[in-house]
Amino acid sequence: MTRRRAWAFGALACALLASAALEIGIGPASIPFWQIPADTWAYFAGHRGLDAVVVGAIRWPRLLVAVLAGSSLALAGAVLQAILRNPMADPGVIGVSSGGALGAVIAVATGLSARYQAATPALAFAFGLGVAAVIYRLATRARRTDMYRLLLAGVALSSLCSAIITAILDLSPLEEMQQMMFWLFGGLDGSNWSEALLLAAVNAAALPAFLRFAFAYDILTTGEEHAEAVGVDVERIKRASLAIAALIVGVAVSTTGVISFVGLIVPHILRRLMGANHRPLLAASAMGGAVLLTLSDLVGRTAVQPAELNVGIVTSCLGVPFFLYLLYRQRSGRDAGP
Amino acid sequence: MIQIHHLHYHPILRDICAEFAPGEMVGLVGPNGAGKTTLLRTMAGVLRPTGGTVQVMGEPVHAREPRWRARRVAYLPQFLPDEIPFTVREFVEMGRYSHAPRGVLDRADAAAVDEALAVMGLRRYEDTPLAHLSGGERQRAAIARCLAQGAPILLLDEPIASLDIHYQLDILVRLRALAAEGRLVIAALHHLELALSHCHRTVCLHRGRLVADGSPDKVFTPALLRAVFRVDARPFRDPHTGALRLSVSAAIPSTPE
Repeated sequence: MTRRRAWAFGALACALLASAALEIGIGPASIPFWQIPADTWAYFAGHRGLDAVVVGAIRWPRLLVAVLAGSSLALAGAVLQAILRNPMADPGVIGVSSGGALGAVIAVATGLSARYQAATPALAFAFGLGVAAVIYRLATRARRTDMYRLLLAGVALSSLCSAIITAILDLSPLEEMQQMMFWLFGGLDGSNWSEALLLAAVNAAALPAFLRFAFAYDILTTGEEHAEAVGVDVERIKRASLAIAALIVGVAVSTTGVISFVGLIVPHILRRLMGANHRPLLAASAMGGAVLLTLSDLVGRTAVQPAELNVGIVTSCLGVPFFLYLLYRQRSGRDAGP
Repeated sequence: MIQIHHLHYHPILRDICAEFAPGEMVGLVGPNGAGKTTLLRTMAGVLRPTGGTVQVMGEPVHAREPRWRARRVAYLPQFLPDEIPFTVREFVEMGRYSHAPRGVLDRADAAAVDEALAVMGLRRYEDTPLAHLSGGERQRAAIARCLAQGAPILLLDEPIASLDIHYQLDILVRLRALAAEGRLVIAALHHLELALSHCHRTVCLHRGRLVADGSPDKVFTPALLRAVFRVDARPFRDPHTGALRLSVSAAIPSTPE
């Protein structure tokens, strides 16, 4: 298993480097790989040549947002799957994503986001956390979280959020409507440095916190009663994890819109490859989410040129068949599972 | 070591008082629904009582944080999920959470895990996935996880239910040895004859009340067996071994209340 883990980390690192180089290099203005460092340097040194601006002001922020949003979603997925003890859990399923999108749309519709730049991520976080808390409350009875109730409450509240978003869109002037449509189909256009830095900051806070809980997540696979018996403060860890997951997903949704399946698929695949131990699994999920979102964006930008597909459409189109294939393999017994 | 004063857990437990000392091997008996699991969970500090107190080593257990409890009381719930994706050693290491909550085990932690595995005879299964063990071996691994906690008190909820006769005896003998080393062992048991032959003391619950507490030959009277367990039975001395046995002859038909 240790050997397998080392291979998986090596492969992820190579994939991340390769997809990053492609993401910066490919586009209407194509930049050869060997010129990327020079152009980056030129941009930060204050030169404003075409290549330097394309690399420094457009491609780098876009790459960083893809990498950090992807790792946020995959990390949140891995953590939710651990605390809810269900491999189907995902930021979308428990309503954090659609709650976050609702918060972002409200920020735009009320004009708050035009006045304060922080309003969009702040409202996205607040609504994501609020929706997650309501669903969690509804699904928890006598300190046991029932997965069916959680899924049902998640589906119900997600569609309520979507309905409210659609209502706000219907009532908005056309110009604002186009701006808000962005949150329904996740995309990376117009990513800028301040978004990338905000994502980097919340990720840098979330990852160490999650890694601190990694042993408790391992123990939770033996059931909540056993976890309590060995001294895990189950309620506290579940609540803290949910809040941090809502924070990183809320910020990710406020910059990229709703991107589904990354949080479901990435931890799922990696758990099969490298086992259920959460310390390596969380680190690998962060890398895997980054790779998946960057590659999906590359596909979206190049598949139907000169048009571009939103990255959320690509993750669904790539992710769902792959997920179904995994389910099929499991069903036909060729893969004994984790 | 454990003192229980007028413990209530509405509506399951009513006014329970008892005291347990180091070195005791206690069988907690009673029919289904008598409150055995609730009493164990309350003593372990996992469940907060609605009245009364539980003192563990002189301190009210419900006032302390989970990791304090887990270093003093090791509690084994009745059911363990089937699919635990870890090896036997990794599973037993989870018992060290209260000492190493980040999962970074030092030499003392590793030594405690080694010893727990050795005591339960699991050294050669260390790297086997838990899912590959038989039911009896899994139960031994679960008890090893409790031992790894390094707690002087062991509370076990039906540790021998659903095991074959070999493992039932195997586990009880190991638990007795742990009590002989000075630990307090309290196990909920359904198998009355094994409770009779392997425990120093039996505590009998019936409808949430403590109805008998003492040495097994004093507790298991024909009258109690009839009133609480609804069987016609009497204890007798085995002519071959001299041990106390139980002769159960008939179930008394339930009467509508």
